[in-house]
Amino acid sequence: MTESDRQIVSGLKDVNKRDLAFHTLVNTYKERLYWHIRKIVMNHDDTDDVLQNTFLKVWKSVDSFREESTLYTWLYRIATNESITFINSKKKKSMLPLNEVNEYLLDNLMSDPYFEGDEIQLKLQKAILQLPEKQRIVFNMKYFDDIKYDDMAKILDTSVGALKASYHHAVKKIEDYLTNKDLN
Amino acid sequence: MEELNNIAPELSKIKKEKSFGTPDGYFDDFSARMQMKIEAEKAPVVKKEFRIINILKPALGLAASFAIIVLLVYVPLNTFLNKEQPNKQATSNEYPQTEFQSILEEIDENSFFALLNEEQNGKNDFTDEELQLYVSANFSDYEIYEYTEN
Repeated sequence: MTESDRQIVSGLKDVNKRDLAFHTLVNTYKERLYWHIRKIVMNHDDTDDVLQNTFLKVWKSVDSFREESTLYTWLYRIATNESITFINSKKKKSMLPLNEVNEYLLDNLMSDPYFEGDEIQLKLQKAILQLPEKQRIVFNMKYFDDIKYDDMAKILDTSVGALKASYHHAVKKIEDYLTNKDLN
Repeated sequence: MEELNNIAPELSKIKKEKSFGTPDGYFDDFSARMQMKIEAEKAPVVKKEFRIINILKPALGLAASFAIIVLLVYVPLNTFLNKEQPNKQATSNEYPQTEFQSILEEIDENSFFALLNEEQNGKNDFTDEELQLYVSANFSDYEIYEYTEN
């Protein structure tokens, strides 16, 4: 854990310093968590909701944070779980079958006014959306954020070996999607 | 990176550009919005004050709804029924002046006086004893004295 993270954690545990420490935590991690959530739920408005829920959960469960994991992996774990919970609640509300969740996310992406990518980027996002949920999260974390497998293992509660295999499968599927132009 | 080139040459050609954007000043505002949310979370939940009105509220609501339903049914029904009744009354009680005159014109003089006498005779059809009882029941001695003196 970095020194600044250690200070934040000790501030959060102290009732008198909690407000200030939480403010520092939000300022330090809001952008990183935003982009992590955004790649899972795709749309800005949904990301904003999930990010707020994430920090709210952090505020409520600060006392239960055991310093066995780093602050950063703890926050990413909460953000990932909140994102998955959000998608599952959407799935339930709209009675979407499992294979149509990706279509829902694709619609989310296409209707998002804040998607600024070009045609190639859109194609890549479409390819990523073909992946199963877990593979998609693993691919995004490794490919875009270059998060270490050890940290990913703590965040996603999986073994490093399983994560490496997941990433490998994801890369192969995306490559197939990108090369098979007739289907796109 | 080299491994990625080998297993996914098409993917490795794509630049890792930021393809998502946010509204202007989103991250600047976010901390303040989050702070407000936390403050709202910290605020204690105010318990609802115990009042008799809170208990009676559902019953009053039901009574009010019932009254409204009665009004909605009764008023139009009453107005509708009253529209028919006055017509009947008008035919029985209200004799227009012109109609009354035409009836009088049709009756000859003898029959008119016969009817009038009949009515008067009918009116005076009571005994002295009944008259005495009526006067003693409805008038004081002083009133009788005064009336007879005049």
